[in-house]
Order: sequence, then structure tokens, then C-alpha cells
Amino acid sequence: MESLNDTQWDVVISGTGLPQSLLALALSRSGKKILHVDRNDYYGGDEAALSLSEADEWAKKHASEPTDTTSTFSHASIAQAPTDGEPGKGKLGHSRGYSLALAPQLLHSKSSLLPALVSSKTNDQLEFQAVGSWFLVNTPPDGSASQAKLTRVPGGREDVFQDATLDLKAKRSLMKFLRFVVNYEEQGDTWEEYRDKPFSSLLEDKFGLVPASHPPILALALSTKSSTDTPSKFAVPRVAKYLTSIGVFGPGFGAVLPKWGGLAEIGQVACRACAVGGGVYVLGKGISEVQQNDDSDMKIYLTDGEVVSSKWLAGVPQDLTHSLSAIQSPEPDVWMTKSISIVSSPLASLFPPTSEGGVTPAGAVIVVQPVDTAEPPVHVFAHSSESGECPKDQCILYASSARADAQGFGVLNHAVEALLQSVGESTEPQVLWSMHYRQRYTSTHDAPSTSDSVITLQSLSPDLAFDDGTLGNVRLAWQRITDGDQEAFLKFEAREGTMEDDELT
Amino acid sequence: MSDGAGATAPKPSSSVKLVLLGEAAVGKSSLVLRFVNNDFQPNKEPTIGAAFLTQKCQLPNRTIKFEIWDTAGQERFASLAPMYYRNAQSALVVYDITKPSSLVKAKHWVAELQRQASPGIVIALVGNKLDLCEDDNAEAEQADAENETEEEPSTARKVSTKEAKAYADEESLLFFETSAKTGHNVSEVFTAIANAIPETSLKGPRSGAGGGTQAAISAGQDNNRVNLNARGEAGPKEGCAC
Ligand SMILES: Nc1nc2c(ncn2[C@@H]2O[C@H](COP(=O)(O)OP(=O)(O)O)[C@@H](O)[C@H]2O)c(=O)[nH]1
Ligand SMILES: [Mg+2]
Repeated sequence: MESLNDTQWDVVISGTGLPQSLLALALSRSGKKILHVDRNDYYGGDEAALSLSEADEWAKKHASEPTDTTSTFSHASIAQAPTDGEPGKGKLGHSRGYSLALAPQLLHSKSSLLPALVSSKTNDQLEFQAVGSWFLVNTPPDGSASQAKLTRVPGGREDVFQDATLDLKAKRSLMKFLRFVVNYEEQGDTWEEYRDKPFSSLLEDKFGLVPASHPPILALALSTKSSTDTPSKFAVPRVAKYLTSIGVFGPGFGAVLPKWGGLAEIGQVACRACAVGGGVYVLGKGISEVQQNDDSDMKIYLTDGEVVSSKWLAGVPQDLTHSLSAIQSPEPDVWMTKSISIVSSPLASLFPPTSEGGVTPAGAVIVVQPVDTAEPPVHVFAHSSESGECPKDQCILYASSARADAQGFGVLNHAVEALLQSVGESTEPQVLWSMHYRQRYTSTHDAPSTSDSVITLQSLSPDLAFDDGTLGNVRLAWQRITDGDQEAFLKFEAREGTMEDDELT
Repeated sequence: MSDGAGATAPKPSSSVKLVLLGEAAVGKSSLVLRFVNNDFQPNKEPTIGAAFLTQKCQLPNRTIKFEIWDTAGQERFASLAPMYYRNAQSALVVYDITKPSSLVKAKHWVAELQRQASPGIVIALVGNKLDLCEDDNAEAEQADAENETEEEPSTARKVSTKEAKAYADEESLLFFETSAKTGHNVSEVFTAIANAIPETSLKGPRSGAGGGTQAAISAGQDNNRVNLNARGEAGPKEGCAC
């Protein structure tokens, strides 16, 4: 039987998270010999999608406090509602009926990842669904969830005009801002001095928008920070990205999500494409050590003792600690507190059609406002069962907050409860199952590797929308390995045998 | 929209992801080639890594577009298959009727699918290379004419239909014996799978949501799917991949 060290590898990729998988996809037609390993026994790494039993195991593995700089996840726990024997009503389904996303990031319709998936001919193996409506949930000053109010964020000019809660002056101010923001790049002077100031002060000083009108605009920026901590330089490009994304793939929505478990599905499709090109995949093996030789390929020690040789090694910093001179960058780590909740109702009111006759969205964004504006908001991504992540008649809520203190989990629970109370269903939807955890984001921009043949890929950022920088970073890695022309990045012909939609029969 | 030959009136169409599993050289790729191209190549080079093909299957009331994942070569690392059967609605587990060890391997795959794949996955067990035991077929008719032993020394068959069928029944699998070489039973396997996919798990247009759908929804697809090829609302973009 053949073993892994019979081959002289060109590239060893460590970890099957999204950045590494996109690199595998980019290299899938290069003719290079690729070995793609993952220390976990499942695909997806930090972006995996989990069944209930996989989530159980995952939570056990990540239950503790963070041990060292390589641990991304910590404090994981699972809570399950007691089953009160009422048949049919509010019961968890089969473990494998769930595909819970560790990375439920939405993709702006204008994200550069989408055309890359089309040009790399992977799009036909993926299914994208719309992220339709955006909502705000406001809790009253006393913080009681039972009085929480849900309001829809106007999704564009027409909505703004029809919004009865806005007076004419407010509408005019808002339109002025909308006109500015979609062309913000050409209007440096308008906002230059506000780049480092809070976004809300730009809205107020420059556009005369009263504070009460800020939350819906701020929501579109998907800032994990409090409004006072969200500078214009963060918010303006993101609001612009969302607004200019509306209508790209159809009226009434500006973001999409991949079916079957968020970014995990894109990673899987990318790995498959690499396997079709001959890449070898091995799960349950990580990299324990790398030995550099001056005049020959490096020796890579796998965790089971096997040794392979390769010209290149690529991975995210957490997988390459052995060959990084310093994983600690000057910027402090960012922590997010997250939860995934399975809800006993489809919450259909969160997923109205994107437009008349348009697609029915499978995703919604809900921003739960903190009572104290100095606190960060809680973002909840709701995915309907059409996302393939849960059985019919249920939905999944992915909640996250930039709080990383002991109260973080309580804040998330409160936000989910406020949302469920505010949707106005006659019987209040129940959380049947939930998982809580913390996630660490290490700023890895310049984690220097000890060798020219070791390529550090950036992990995903804490952004709630996919950051196109990830793809740019993968492109640089691909260029180093292949010396390729950047114009050729992820541009492939259809493979033989994959007829698109021609009628053969 | 399309003005295709009038013969094919628009029928609801849905995609079905199918994965092929089985020991090396049992004929997985040959079965796919027969189904997709109605062709057989005796000296086909082994699949590298994996292959992705599509083929349509016309049922009386709908069209099924199979998205076929043919796996290969890396069974030894047992790491490739999970990314193929993830979200697969159907699996074709193939063994070679002249090679008993290949049925053992097939049973492992069935067990793994039942443990790991989508709960509703439709699995077909397929004994391939039936042409190598042609005579055996004829004999089955006149079974006890001259001989009472089940296994003829003259035939290449090493796995009896009865044994495999009993196993398939026990595990609720569809079961066929095929020949990729002659084409015997090949399209039958795929048609049977298409018919066995529960209607509810098919993505099709909801009743009533028929006409007048937006550009972003490809014709005949469900009303959740966003079509990334429909970039920009206006503009007559043709969906041609060539
Ligand atoms: N006689 C006969 N040979 C077959 C049949 N199907 C495949 N083969 C041969 O078996 C070998 C392996 O076939 P292949 O399709 O590559 O198997 P795979 O590894 O399972 O994909 C090739 O030499 C084929 O020509 C069949 O139905 N009858
Ligand atoms: Mg093959």
C-alpha cells in the first residue's frame, strides 16, 4: 500500500478551514502535488458545520478556558430544553438533520468571493440563498424581554420614502446620506475629518440625522462594537458595500448565505475541487514539526509520526505555531461570545419575500440594541430550515457579541429571548437546544514565518460579513506558489464531463 | 423562456446529489460513463482523486438532474468520502460480483453512510460486471436442470444474487446487478434512485408559484435559490457555460 511519504509533495496545506480550502481550490488545476491535512477528524476547521452529535463532541473539546494561543474556541457548553413529552410539538430532530455553522457570516452580493466561485466553476455545486430583511430589537430601559419591540430596517430608497415613522425633513437627511455613502470613495472631503470619529457624529454633524435615526443605519454596518466605538472609517465602507449590493442578484436583498451550514459548504466544495484535481486528503493528522533544509525540500512531521517532504507549507497561524517566529502580534486578540440556538418555530415573519415574486430569503439579520448605548449590540443571524441547517418548522439563531466577560452568555440569552418575544407569535417559540462558546481572533497580519517556504494564511476576521481580504490573502499565497498572473486567479474552464444545462436526453 | 424542442415540455426539475462508493476497480467510473455517455472503455485509466459529472434523468412527471460524484483512489485514507456524501441525497455503493471482498467493502460503506450521511439518503447496492457471468443468468432460469450446486465452477460469479439481495433487503437498500460493459440495468439503477427520492426532499417550484418568477430564479428551480449568474437585474445574460 502506498504511503504519504512516497510522494514528493509540492504543497502541504494544513487545516481545512475556509482560507486553506480556497488555496486548495486555487491550486486545483496547477498540476502541483497537493497534500491537504487536517488535525481534526472532520472538515471545515474553525468554519465547520456540525450535526448535533458532532456539536456535542465539539463542545466537550472546547469546554475549558483557553489553554494557549493556538486555541480559537473556549468556554463551550450545550443546554437542552427538557422534553416535556408533548408529542410532535417542539422536539429536536435527528442529529444529522442539523448542520450548525461555526461561521454563519453573510456574504455581500458584491463580495469578490462570489464571482470567484463562478469563474472557478464551483458555483454550480453550491446553492446560495438570500439574506432578506434586517430588523432592530429594542428593549425598554428596564431591560425586560417581554416588552421588546421588533422593527424592520428600511432596505433602500423606496422603503425610506414609504416609512411612515419618518417626517419629511428626516427623509431628506436620510436620502442625502444615502447619496453620499454609495459614492463615499469620491467624497473624501465630506468625511475625511470624521474617519476616526464615531460614525454617529458624522451622521449627526454632516447630515443632520438625529440620534434616534442612527440605529437602522448603524445596523447595516454590522459593527460588533458600541456606536460610540464604531468609527466612520469602519462603518462607511460597510454600509456602502451593503447598499450597493442590493439588487445585484435580484431586487430586495443585498446579501446571500451558502446553503447547508454557512461558509463550511464553500470550504467543502473547494476541497472537492482540489480532490478532483488529484489532491490527497487526510483527516485526523496535523503537523507537529517542520525541518528546513537549505538545499532540499522541507521535512514535515505529521502528528502520527509520519514524515513527508514538500516545497511549500501553508496554513493559518494556529496550525503553524511550530514554524512561526512570533504568533503574538502587537495588536491584542479580539474575543467574541457566540451562541447557536435551535428554535421550535420557523419564525416565518422574519423571512418575508425579498420582493413581489422574488426569492424567499433563508436568512435575516436582527440587531438587538443594548439598553446602555455604551455597550456593544448583539447580532442575531436567523436561518430558516430552507438553509438546510435544521428540520422544517424550526429555525436557527446565531447570536454574537463582542463582549467577552462573564456576562456575555447572559447578554446573548437575553437578546435571543427578546427577539423571540418580539416576533409576535401566539405561542412563544422555545429554544430547544443551544450551544454557547467564545472565539478568539488573533490579529495575524504580519505573523512572520521562520522560512520562505512556509506561508501563513490569515484566519477569518471577527467581521460578521465575509471579509474579501481573506480572498486577497489567498491570492497572494497562490501567486507565491505558482508565480501565476493574478488575473488568472480562480479562473478555470469547465471540466470535461460537467455539462451545464444542455439537454442530452 | 427557452424554446427547446417541443418534445420536452417544461417539467419541474430538481437536482439530486449522488455519490459513488466502492472498492477500486469494481466499475464505479464505468457505470457513470455508461449512464452519462452511454459508452464503455475497457481500458479506462483509473480516476484521479474524484470526478464530478451531471446527467439528467427524465421521469414521467419531473426531471431529475443528477450531480454525480465519482470517488476514487483515496479510500485508503478514508478521508475523501465524507466530503462527498455530505448532503448527498443518494449513494450508489458498488461491488464486483466476481470479487467477494468487494461486497465486504460495500457493506462497510453502507454502514458508514447509515452512520454519517443525511438521514434520508437513498442507497442503492449494485453488483457490477454481470456480463462476466452471462451463462449464469441463463442457468438461473433452468436452475436445477443438471446441477444442484449454486456456484458453478464454470462461472466467474462469486457473490450470489440471493446473498446480496437478502443483505440489501435487510438494510432497506435498492438492489441491482448491472453490467457497465453491456449497459444492462444501468439506467434502471438511476431511474430507481430518482423515483425513490422522497418528493419532499426535492427542491421544486411550490405549487402555484409557477409563472412570472424573477430573473434571479433559474427556471424550474425552487424559490429560495439565488442565481449567481444572474448578476445585475437587466441584461439578457445567457446561462451558457461554454
Ligand atoms: N467485464 C466488465 N468489466 C468492467 C465492467 N465495469 C468495469 N469494468 C472494468 O473494470 C475495470 C475497473 O473499472 P473502473 O470503472 O475504472 O472501476 P472504478 O475503480 O470502480 O471506477 C476496468 O478495466 C473496466 O473496464 C463491467 O460491467 N464488465
Ligand atoms: Mg474510478
